[in-house]
Amino acid sequence: MKKLDRHYLLRHRDVAGIGTLKGYEADGGYSGLKKALSEFEPDALVDLVKASGLRGRGGAGFPTGLKWSFLAKDGRPRALVVNADEGEPGTFKDREIIEHNPHQLIEGMLIASYATRAPESFIYIRGEFLRGYEVLQQAIAEAMEGGYIGDKVLGTDFSHRMYLYRGAGAYICGEESALLESLEGRRGNPRLKPPFPAVAGVYGLPTVVNNVETIANLPPLILNGAEWHRQWGTEKSPGLKVMSVSGHVARPGNYEVPLDTTLRELIEMAGGVTPGHQVKAVIPGGSSMPLLPASKLDTSIDYESLVQAGSMLGSGGCIVMDDTTCIVAAVARVVRFYRDESCGKCTPCREGTYWMTDVLDRLEGGLGELDDLDTLLDVADNINGKAFCPLGDASVGFMVSAIRHFRDEFVEHITGRTCPLGARLYDTVNY
Amino acid sequence: MIRLTIDGREATVPEGTMVVDAAATVGIDIPIYCYHQALGPLGACRICLVEIEKMPKLMTACTTAATDGMVVHTQSKAAEKGRRGILEFLLINHPLDCPICDKGGECFLQDYVFQYGAGQARFEEAKIQRHKEYPVSPYILVDQERCVLCQRCVRFLGEYVGEEQLLMDGRGVHTVITNVPGIPVTSPFSGNVIDLCPVGALLSEPYHYRARPWNIEREETYCSQCPVGCPSSVTGRDGQVVRLEGRPTPGQWGWLCDHGRFTYDFGTHPTRLTEALLDANPVTVGRAAQVLGERLAAVVREHGADAVAILTGGSHILEDHHALRRFADEVVGTSRIGLVKPVESDLPLALLGTFAELEQSDTVLLLGTDPYESVPVVHLGLREQVRKRGLRVKALGDRHLLRETLAGEEWVVEPGGMAAALAAATAAASSHPDARRAAEGLDPADESLTGLGQALVEADALTILWDGREPDLVRALVALARARGDRATRVLPTFGPRNWLAAVRAGIPTDYETTRRILMDAADGRIQVLLLWGADPIRDFPDGDLAARALERCPEVYFGGVFPPEGAKLLAGMLPTAAWAEETGTYVNMEGRLQTAHGAASAPGQARPTRSILQTVARAFGSPLRRLDEWDPYEGTVEDRVVLPPLEETVTSVSRSEAAQTGKDSGFRLISGFDVAVTHDPSEVAARTKEERPARMHPQDLEDLGLQDGSGLVQILSGDRSFRVGVRSDPRIPRGRVFVPRGVTGVPINRLTTTDVAVRVAEEVASR
Repeated sequence: MKKLDRHYLLRHRDVAGIGTLKGYEADGGYSGLKKALSEFEPDALVDLVKASGLRGRGGAGFPTGLKWSFLAKDGRPRALVVNADEGEPGTFKDREIIEHNPHQLIEGMLIASYATRAPESFIYIRGEFLRGYEVLQQAIAEAMEGGYIGDKVLGTDFSHRMYLYRGAGAYICGEESALLESLEGRRGNPRLKPPFPAVAGVYGLPTVVNNVETIANLPPLILNGAEWHRQWGTEKSPGLKVMSVSGHVARPGNYEVPLDTTLRELIEMAGGVTPGHQVKAVIPGGSSMPLLPASKLDTSIDYESLVQAGSMLGSGGCIVMDDTTCIVAAVARVVRFYRDESCGKCTPCREGTYWMTDVLDRLEGGLGELDDLDTLLDVADNINGKAFCPLGDASVGFMVSAIRHFRDEFVEHITGRTCPLGARLYDTVNY
Repeated sequence: MIRLTIDGREATVPEGTMVVDAAATVGIDIPIYCYHQALGPLGACRICLVEIEKMPKLMTACTTAATDGMVVHTQSKAAEKGRRGILEFLLINHPLDCPICDKGGECFLQDYVFQYGAGQARFEEAKIQRHKEYPVSPYILVDQERCVLCQRCVRFLGEYVGEEQLLMDGRGVHTVITNVPGIPVTSPFSGNVIDLCPVGALLSEPYHYRARPWNIEREETYCSQCPVGCPSSVTGRDGQVVRLEGRPTPGQWGWLCDHGRFTYDFGTHPTRLTEALLDANPVTVGRAAQVLGERLAAVVREHGADAVAILTGGSHILEDHHALRRFADEVVGTSRIGLVKPVESDLPLALLGTFAELEQSDTVLLLGTDPYESVPVVHLGLREQVRKRGLRVKALGDRHLLRETLAGEEWVVEPGGMAAALAAATAAASSHPDARRAAEGLDPADESLTGLGQALVEADALTILWDGREPDLVRALVALARARGDRATRVLPTFGPRNWLAAVRAGIPTDYETTRRILMDAADGRIQVLLLWGADPIRDFPDGDLAARALERCPEVYFGGVFPPEGAKLLAGMLPTAAWAEETGTYVNMEGRLQTAHGAASAPGQARPTRSILQTVARAFGSPLRRLDEWDPYEGTVEDRVVLPPLEETVTSVSRSEAAQTGKDSGFRLISGFDVAVTHDPSEVAARTKEERPARMHPQDLEDLGLQDGSGLVQILSGDRSFRVGVRSDPRIPRGRVFVPRGVTGVPINRLTTTDVAVRVAEEVASR
């Protein structure tokens, strides 16, 4: 593992005052954009990003350069949409970048817009991120003042408009097509694909939708080149990743690490679990991903290794659970989240999450029956791969993996007619 | 073409066909809720999951386009499990109230669960309770518990109709279908959501708890309320019509407008004629027919056959029109027979178009008519064609004819100026002699009209919707058709009565002049007996004064029909006839297409089929009609359409009509047209939304009159004539004009002699 001597995405941790345009410029900010505009044709930038192996940091890990190259080439104006609707439980990396290093996001957006020939870009920011919204408003105003946004950026032929749009509090709007619906002012429901956003995205324009962290990767990448980016991580998963570590660790927070860091190393960075306790399970990539038991802690966080271990990197929201955790209560809480956030469009997600929540609440309360476990797994199977959008699949991953790895604990709840760990789900759940 | 295999059967379908539709072509039924061909794929309900080889997971057949070599399994283990799972999900919050559900027995949830679902429920938790009978309009209740959230209703109104009045509220499992809070659904197409709902969630309030599928008669019919003749199904119970539903047919979606759908009860309306009257005294219908026959015989003996005249109102079935024609020829022997229609123009029948031709047209002209009001379902078709393939819509009228939901280009001209404008526009774009002849003496078209002329003359295929006003338009239309040469020029008449083209098929003259002469003769005392069959000349004939004089001066006027006409006091006798849905009969719609509508109810009281009454009259006359029922309405028709004569009209110059030439500054100009929302048959059900203010004016004009809240009662005066009418605001009426629809009982615009009118606010008078 290559140790980082400085931060590239969480630059504000090393440099004070970087949140303002002055501070950002003083640290060499916007030189990536200058380099892009002066030394690169747009297509060459796409090639550079392709060569770097940068993959989307929002959850799916799709190669960014490849995504850009899918844009319809029919002469219509394109659009860039930045997905800042960070809602995945356990994930809070974009929020830190937005609130403390906003100009790196804006610089990245300008680079991406130049590369994809998008005259307009949109930031869809989670409604609850009021502070981030205010920071971005300020930063965009500064960037306009500084000549980075507007007509003839830095005296070149590249002109650009940027729009900031607040979401209204729906997890589903982090799904790119629901985000586009919401951005256009409609109910945040996922759209039918095809057409994909690259053909008909926001307002019907060919659109790239990228995550905040993905975009924030661009300024250092352009400045330093593809090989620089590839010095970290693995062949297929190169680069750096901001991991949000939460749960039973001494120092929960964001950690910018190379993509070949192991889960154990990550937990150590965060100060380890509570003294005297052991890791019971880890969700490596936000609550939509299956959990990994303690035996898998030496897995590297790169996309491929985590899939092989039975989970996924997702958004990088690493939730650490020690041995005081009641897995049944955790599952019940997480599935309840998906029930509440299901948009209601498709049947299996809408009804299935409701059903699972009820059964899990009953189980946790000691009122379960043994065949409830089979029912839960069968309901999960009837959702998985059958829902309209990934939210349905997301709602079952954690539960299915929990029943697989901790079936005994579920059975104990049923046979013992109570929670053996004394978890008090109903004290924490707001009905 | 794409070839694919579905359950071992090979299907060949056009590119872009969804798997669900490809399956249907080889007789494989894939269950669907959210998918509807008119609305396009959505992918929400997931009931159509199928297994497709080489695809990692089950796919929804409604959102997956067929590709070459695709192998689809609809009955594989995985597909069956997926489907069963979806049905189970749909049921977990669905109440078990099928026994009291209006939809019970005709419900796709019942059907599919029976066919594909599990026999036993595993869900043991509490079901969510929601609104059961939530009214979103006077006609529609939502049972939110039964809803499967397929969004057909939301998408139909919001996207297809363009009137976003239903929406999804809440999220996740708490999502419900509802209206905008406090704003009821008002779209005249709202009733279609009842038909579209695959389950018992959207209910017809008038039909609520009225009948079950196994104790009704459900027969194929066509709507009777406007000349479109929408395919529909009529539900009868205990001899009464209790419901009308849209009926999809090949090429038509089965939409109805609410004016047609909810007027189904007109046959039992209190004003229905259900007993015979002679000199206002009730008699049996047999007795009345007997007396009528004897009187006719006496008159013919004394004054000759032409002392008897027959006028049809064009609402009875084709078989009745045939009987009337034969009655005139073979029994009475009179040559005086005609049709009372509410317009003074005669459509050159050679130009009569079809809906299929409309769908082939690249340009449509709305000529004086707003199809949303006159033939509502045609408006839906136009909107679909605009959205689907960019049909160009042009409009020429004396008011704004386009609307938010139907975009195009429009020209608003002076009242009475449409014919001159069309002729000038045509002449500006064509040097055809007829085009020049029609425009002789007219001012040359200005620049904007030239654009209209070019669009019309150069269109590949043109369909014109015309409401029959301005007789001079006939010449302008023929000139346009000639100028267009071989390219199709078709006219769809949007005026009523519903079945006037049946008179054409039956050989009854339908021209204005024939009827005007009959009425003149009656007014001049040359006619002793006038027989009105469904005709209401005082209300409908464009020269209302002449009609009134005719009824006053003719010694004996008899009426046969469903509702008493205006001037009923002047009648010597009335005979109640059977109405729509009370017998099987043939209608001819605005395309000239024959449509056989079946009966599902009984005629109330003494009402009898026209043919039976006429036969009694003929026997009393001493000359019974022979083999009346052997006549075949379809004989000699081509593809079920009446045979159209060739276009023979000679074109002479269009004159600026008198109306257009006046220009006295007396206040307002009266304009008119057709609005089925106010002219449909009397109905207690449809009364819930019946517009009581048929007249319309620009909101600013209303405000200037002191009617600040956008509606009121006004008196319309012209010379020594005046009438009162309710008026409401409509920004599509130009300033200085007042729109009053034709054919409204009690609103005699046909008795004004000039279109220059004064409008005054009238006091509301409490009805006695």
